[in-house]
Amino acid sequence: MAEDDIITAADGGIAADGGKPVTAKPQPGAVAAPVPATIRSSEHIFEEFREHSVAEFFKKNRQMLGFAGKVKSLTTVVHEAVTNSLDACEEAKILPSIYVKIENVNSHLKVQVEDNGPGIPEHYIGKALGQMLAGTKFHRYVQQRGQQGIGISGCIMFSQITTGKQTHVRSGTGNNKIYECDVSIDLKTNRPQVVSMIELPGTYRGLSVIGEYSEVKNDMSEYSPYEYLKATAMANPHTQITFVNPDGERTVFARASDVIPKKPAPAQPHPLGITTNDLIEQAHHSKERKLSSFLTQNFARVSDAKVDELKALCPGTNFDKMPRELKWDEAEAIVDAFKKIKWIAPSADPLRPIGKQQIEKAMKAVLNPEYMSVTERAPKVYRGGVPFMVEAAICYGGKSGRQSKEGIGLDTKRFANRAPLLFDAGGCAITEAVKTIDWGRYGLKNIDHMPVTLFINLVSVFIPYTGAGKQAVANEDEVIEELRFAIMEIARDLDRYISGKSKDEQREMKRKAILRYVKQIAGDLPYLSGKDLKSSELEKKLINLIENKYTKIFEHGRGGGTAAAAAEADEIAEEAAKQVKKAKKAAASAEKPKKTGKDGGEDDIEE
Amino acid sequence: MKKKDEITDAETKTRLQNLGIHMVAEIDAGVSPSFEAPTRGSGNVTYDEKEKVLVLGDKVEKRIFLNVAQAKKFMQTVAIASKCKKFKEENLHTSIRGLFYQLKFSLGEDIEEDLFEEQEESNDLVEDLEVALDVKREDLNLSTDRKGVVAGPLIIRDKFGGAETTIDCSKQGRSGWMIPSDVDNGMEFIKCDADYVLVIEKDALWQRLNEDQFWRKENCIIITPKGQASRGCRRLIRKLADRGIPIYCFMDCDAWGWYIYWTIKTGSMNLAYLGANIATPEARFIGVTMKDIETYDFLKKLTIRAKEVDIKRAQEMLGYEWISRHKEWVEELKKVLDTKKKIEQDALQGPRLTFVGEYIRAKIKNKDFLP
Repeated sequence: MAEDDIITAADGGIAADGGKPVTAKPQPGAVAAPVPATIRSSEHIFEEFREHSVAEFFKKNRQMLGFAGKVKSLTTVVHEAVTNSLDACEEAKILPSIYVKIENVNSHLKVQVEDNGPGIPEHYIGKALGQMLAGTKFHRYVQQRGQQGIGISGCIMFSQITTGKQTHVRSGTGNNKIYECDVSIDLKTNRPQVVSMIELPGTYRGLSVIGEYSEVKNDMSEYSPYEYLKATAMANPHTQITFVNPDGERTVFARASDVIPKKPAPAQPHPLGITTNDLIEQAHHSKERKLSSFLTQNFARVSDAKVDELKALCPGTNFDKMPRELKWDEAEAIVDAFKKIKWIAPSADPLRPIGKQQIEKAMKAVLNPEYMSVTERAPKVYRGGVPFMVEAAICYGGKSGRQSKEGIGLDTKRFANRAPLLFDAGGCAITEAVKTIDWGRYGLKNIDHMPVTLFINLVSVFIPYTGAGKQAVANEDEVIEELRFAIMEIARDLDRYISGKSKDEQREMKRKAILRYVKQIAGDLPYLSGKDLKSSELEKKLINLIENKYTKIFEHGRGGGTAAAAAEADEIAEEAAKQVKKAKKAAASAEKPKKTGKDGGEDDIEE
Repeated sequence: MKKKDEITDAETKTRLQNLGIHMVAEIDAGVSPSFEAPTRGSGNVTYDEKEKVLVLGDKVEKRIFLNVAQAKKFMQTVAIASKCKKFKEENLHTSIRGLFYQLKFSLGEDIEEDLFEEQEESNDLVEDLEVALDVKREDLNLSTDRKGVVAGPLIIRDKFGGAETTIDCSKQGRSGWMIPSDVDNGMEFIKCDADYVLVIEKDALWQRLNEDQFWRKENCIIITPKGQASRGCRRLIRKLADRGIPIYCFMDCDAWGWYIYWTIKTGSMNLAYLGANIATPEARFIGVTMKDIETYDFLKKLTIRAKEVDIKRAQEMLGYEWISRHKEWVEELKKVLDTKKKIEQDALQGPRLTFVGEYIRAKIKNKDFLP
């Protein structure tokens, strides 16, 4: 497994999105390795405080890191491990197969997450897993699965502080050597502790992480690992996920597609997506010699001309000084100035949607809906410059919808860059957008009692999360509007399907109603016509007529088939009309039939 | 419209059979069985200027089995047609109620539905069949309740139930001869040479004239429909008019009286499909009229306050183009609207019981009618 990726994932979003930093995290005491130079000078003052700070900090800020509530904590563990696996496989261009098993062990839960990824080389195992916020490569500005915690190392620590146990790791890179060891984190120094390392022969390739946890609980709620994995399967059709719950029940979310998603393209951050902290962090790691060239080299759309505009707006700042000498108030002034300048919007090229076809495959595999509609909207920008796009699917029937005590109802599955957003639904722009839809307009007034699943994936290199937990999208006007458009589009499709279906049901009712009378009429006609006919023959013909007329549309399939069938039916009707004319002449009737005048009351003759 | 008394039993049977043949041909051709029938209802009723009767217009409805709104009725109509064919072949008659009981069976073991639930259902369908085949229900061996009584110089031969009877309407005593529902099939006028026919709205007045031997003295036929005239009664009046006998109607001067008169004269909206067959445009209204008050002073004291329904009916009649074209009727109706009064025919017994006869004689002598 590529070390960088693990670490990026582990640093909890400061780098990954280039966006809002986890403001609580870069507290001097908590961050050991890449401490900025300006603060380093006073490091010794806090020496004693730091002894316990990581654990203390961790305990105090569990909620922020996703370890709040027993169910949520368990889901966070699964999420961190699965996200690592998916990113590693993507990087290595491997179709992921992930195995997740949760077991009851005494009063603890044992969680095993195993993948078929590239594995981690022996000497990186400790660093990659057992060190928090280690070796960060800042500001890799790419669209990635949103990270909500502090990665797998956070899980290892969570295991340590709730059970005192080490985490068992097994890694194979496919070169006939498998390494197994136990990993923990020295909370005082934030250094990995790797013990009982053994080397085994074997062709296994992948990573298996087994940890034991307390203060966790498994259930079937919407926040459960099960729902999380189901959602992950929806957004990652190229992934095979096997889940074994504590009762030993096994669920397989089968791989629905063999297409490995394209690796997100790295992109420079756009000035409008930058915070003061981002700017400081990046400036202090820059090898550029001047602040001006640092800006033009590291940010999208920043030209020399724009630097001149910045200079005019920030007269107190020397743009020729070393970037690492940038001070907070100067950085703040520059970020403020960014917002006053007109920028060319950033390129939408780095956006990596799941894709319509892939979503269709995933929905079919996970929900097997009776009907679905998927839309992929064109890229738009919000906050005047951040590109984003919305992908959405509506599924009806099959396993769609959420079962609760009140029965089946709408299930909204929120995603940001393919990562399921399970928590904080209330404050999320996606929830807000769904809420403001006038479902009655789409014949879906009862959506809260219908087997409907809404799948919504927000794609952006900078998802505007509401907070560090990265579980909700902020209410940006442009984002909400685009979300609404996407939902309305697919709601219209579902409306069309359901109204067509209710027509079908009506047809079926009509068919049955008419069939009741066939026997009687077939019994009377031979006598009335005075012809030597068998009632059973007439009955058969009449039933055929009725079946032909009231055949369900959807049995023909939608689209082309229906048109063809209709054309055929017309031909048959025309031919029949000719024959009737002949028959009328033949039946030497004293009464010439009167001219036909169809009246409006015949509700369904023309169907 | 063709006169329906020309239709023979054999012709009716052929029409029933052709209905079935047509449906079987449609089924063989792979289309829904159907039949066409002129639309009934006021929207398709017009006044025929030539015949001077209410007739059905050109609107035709197609009844289709493969139409969920019509399927049951269609099936029921076919069942009725089939039964009627049987009645024709057996030469047996029944009422609509009798037909209803002939057909009120279950549609099948697994179907919780009867062919007919209510008699009302069958009424409508019989009318459908009448218009579709262009026959009267009497031609389908379906009888209606008898209503209406005749006395006078009229002898009829009646073939019924395998027997043949001769009826002399001048020898019916105080009760008179009751008009059957079918006066065509198996009915034949042997002697019919009255000078005129007097149609009297109320049975009480008919009895008055019968007791007075009015019909013998006048050589006329007296008929009372006992209120609204039945189909058989109207048909009989038509047949008598066909013989060139003048028809005079003697009714109350009120809404009901006018309505009975105009139904006899032009036919009704409901039975417009029978058109000229049961209408008698030659009929004349001899009274009672508002104008009579001017002639007969005693009537002034015997008027009754007109009810709302009378006023409404008078207004309605002024709206009917075929009534308002007669200035005499306009005058008469306006008088009712102005004075808000009405007169019952019984009032003519005011001076003395036999005055009724005198009144009628005078009216006919002076040709004092409303058209």
